[in-house]
This record gives sequence, C-alpha cells and structure tokens, in this order.
Amino acid sequence: MTDTIEQRVFRLIAKQAKVDPSEVRADSTMASLNVPSLGAVELIFDLEDEFDISFPDNEGADFNSETAGHLVSVVEKVLADKAPASGGSAN
Amino acid sequence: MSARRSARERVVITGVGAVSAAGLGAGPLWEAMIAGRSGIARLRHPDVDRLRVKVAAQLPESLALESHFTQDQLSIMDRVSQVAVVAAREAVTQSGLDFADARLADQAMVVVGSSVGGELTHDEQCRRLYSESNARVHPFTIVRLMMNAPASQISMEYGLHGASFVVASACASSNHALLQAVQAIRCGQTEVVISGGTEACLSYASLRAWEAMRILSADTCRPFSAHRTGLVLGEGAAMFVLESLAHARARGAAILCEIAGGGMSADGADIVQPHMEGQVLALQRALADAGLASHDIDYINAHGTGTRANDVTETRTLHAVFGRHAEKLAVSSTKAIHGHALGATGALELVAVVGALQHAVVPPTINLDAPDPDCDLDYVAEGARPMPVRAAISNSFAFGGLNAVLALTPAPAD
Repeated sequence: MTDTIEQRVFRLIAKQAKVDPSEVRADSTMASLNVPSLGAVELIFDLEDEFDISFPDNEGADFNSETAGHLVSVVEKVLADKAPASGGSAN
Repeated sequence: MSARRSARERVVITGVGAVSAAGLGAGPLWEAMIAGRSGIARLRHPDVDRLRVKVAAQLPESLALESHFTQDQLSIMDRVSQVAVVAAREAVTQSGLDFADARLADQAMVVVGSSVGGELTHDEQCRRLYSESNARVHPFTIVRLMMNAPASQISMEYGLHGASFVVASACASSNHALLQAVQAIRCGQTEVVISGGTEACLSYASLRAWEAMRILSADTCRPFSAHRTGLVLGEGAAMFVLESLAHARARGAAILCEIAGGGMSADGADIVQPHMEGQVLALQRALADAGLASHDIDYINAHGTGTRANDVTETRTLHAVFGRHAEKLAVSSTKAIHGHALGATGALELVAVVGALQHAVVPPTINLDAPDPDCDLDYVAEGARPMPVRAAISNSFAFGGLNAVLALTPAPAD
C-alpha cells in the first residue's frame, strides 16, 4: 500500500518540526509547528526531492505562514501539471 | 579628537578602482550610482534555460575582461583574480605610487575580501570530471581557485612583499579586509595597503544554490520597498590604495578621504537571520573607533539587500544606534545599481561613500516603488541628493551573522 501525497508531505513536515506525523494537521502552519525559517526553506527542498518536482517561485513568499494543507495542494497541482509531459525527468 | 586616535597613524584613501556591471572603472560606477542607472539585466549564461533566476548584475560583455591579460596570465587566473587585478591597476595608477621603489614594494600589503574565491574554475573542472566524464583536470585548477589567489595575483602584478592575504566573511568580506588593512597601517606594520573586495561566482552550481535558498528576486532589487522580493546577484571588484596620512602627505598625494575607523562584530545567533544586537554593536564600535558621535553622521550606505529580513532589521538597527538622529540620516542602498556582489559588495559600495564625501552628493536608492511601514527612514528615493557629508558609514552584514562597518570622513585639511 503506497502512502498518499498528504501522508508523504506531512511526514516531511514532521521531520522538520521534529514531531510525530500525527501531530501535523492541514491547518498547521510552519510557524505553529515551530519550524524555523531555514527549516521551512529546507522543507521545500525536501518536497522537491521527494516528488521530483520544482516548486513554483512565489516571490517574497513567507514560508513560515504556509499551512500543511496548502503545501499538499501545491504538490498535487505541480504533479498534475507535470503529468501530461511525463516523458522524461526535467532534471 | 581623542588622545587614542591622535596617537596612532591615520589612514587615508589615495586611489580607487572598480570593475562592475557599470563597466570598467570607478568613474562609470559612480556615475551609474548618481544617475540611478541599474546594471541589473537579463542573465547571460550558457545554462540560462535550466535556471530559475533570470537576472543578474554582470560585467558588460563589451568590457572584454580577458583582453587585459596575456595568455600566460589567463592560464593561471580565475575571473575573480582578473577583476581584482584590473581594479587594483586603476587604484594604483590614481594613487601615483611607484612600486619600482624597493622600499615601498618591500612593505606594501595586499588584503582582499572574497566570499568564495575561484568558483567558476571549481565549477568548470567539476563539470568536466563528473558530468562530461573527462578525467583530465587542468593542472592550474588549484592556483586559479585557491581563496588567496586574488591577493597573490595583485602582489605579483607589482612585486610586493608585505603581508598579504584574503579575508572571507561572505557579504562582509570587503569591509573586514579593509579593516584589517586599516589596522595594519595604524599599528605601523606598513604605510601602504592595496585592499578591497572581489567576486565572480555566477556559475551554474552557485546560481542553483542561491535559488534553493529562495531569496533571489525574479526581476530586480528593490531595497527598502514594500514590494521587495529578494536580492539580485552581481559580480566585480573594487580596490583601494590605503596609506598612512603621513606617507600620503610626505609624497604630496591627492587624498580622496579618510577611513576614520571601523567596527566588527558577530551576531553569534543564526546562520542566516540577521540580528539587530550584533549589527548595533558593530555600528557603535565603528563610531567609537572613529571618534565620531552619532550626530556627526550624514550619510549611510546601507547593506540594503532587498530581502525581507535584511532591510527591516537594518532599519531597526539604525534607529537603535542613532536614536532621534536616525530620521536626519540620508540612507541609501546602491545594490540595485551593481547587484549584490557578495564578497565584493562592501568595496563597490565604498565607491559610493568615497564619491559622496568627495563630491557632496549622495546616491539614491532606486526601485523604492512602495513605502514599507517597517522601513521608515530617508532612503533618498527621489534621486541623487546634493548635500554636505561630514561623515559617512558603510554597512556590511553577512550571512553567518558577521558584521563589519566602516566610518569615513572627508580628506583632512592640511
């Protein structure tokens, strides 16, 4: 049985927050989970690595106020956009 | 003037040289600063299609950097050394110093700031080795990329024998280097130092690493603006001839301005987030070292990177140090002109301070398109401002929380 995208995202968030994945909820923000700003940037890298995607550039984004649920939806959207052209890795 | 200050050698600048996005020379850089002409443009890079970052403040192609060197020199010089030497040549020429004088060459030091050294050589050779499966690495790879190469190349250019080295403190490297030069002159170790900063690290790997930090702006640098979206990388070098006041006067040199003092500190807190306390210490130490009161300062060349964190922290720092005088300060960031050239940035920005002291004009902060309530000082957004400058400060606050601040005054009256 494979994990859902949400489970995989939450697990990576939990790793940065140093909490159990069960403590991450959709409305948890990185700040509320005490993920430091550098940890939030590393989380984006973790997500890109996990899903082999490129996170969109949101200029001046404040990752500290991102919610876990929003990160899941961004990953889902990027994966969906990527799907039709899944001929080769962009890397 | 304190007894402490008069008891030691005073340090003046007698030569300036620069290579930057504004072109070849300190003059064109100063003119671009005053005109508010940005050197930020579309990134020219072989891997541009694989990069998110699309802008940078690069040397103009017309500068033909390599044409300033022989083939033998080029084979042992990374770009970071090339820009350093070209800038040093301009500074030395302006100073009028002749290093054929053995007494002078024997004592003259070279102290250069750089953040990462020969990054382009490192990137190129790694690419051959790992990506192109080419097992042959150029035999001069080490001498091109070693951190001390820019200082070595300048010392070789003039046959200098004073203590020479490179100082690394990321974006504060230039100011730390210049302050080492100041200390050496003050304590009588030498009467002449070529000092400044150099950087040329716009490699594919380096650009990708900066992208990953997510602090690069997608279009341009807007220091202190509510619309600021991050920094824009640059490259280049600026070099200065520093002399003891006595030495400069004895030879009748034209003195451009005085480095009255400086202050350094470490935040001791976070590897990226700037901390006000450390910055305040560096500024207070600079004022005390220079024998200046906060109300003596008219102009501040800010670190002003255009990132969310820097600009608001730096503004708070200036409030904390200058109190009510803060609102009278003219504060500008010139990073939207020459980009954030990392280890070279403090030296490029010193061109702005030397110009302001010499010409009584303060360069503007360009691209300040929307006020930020948290950045509430006078950033000279309307354009270059003619005004007398009795004393000026140049801030550099590096990643890793390493701070170095210079305090400068006009050339002393005879």
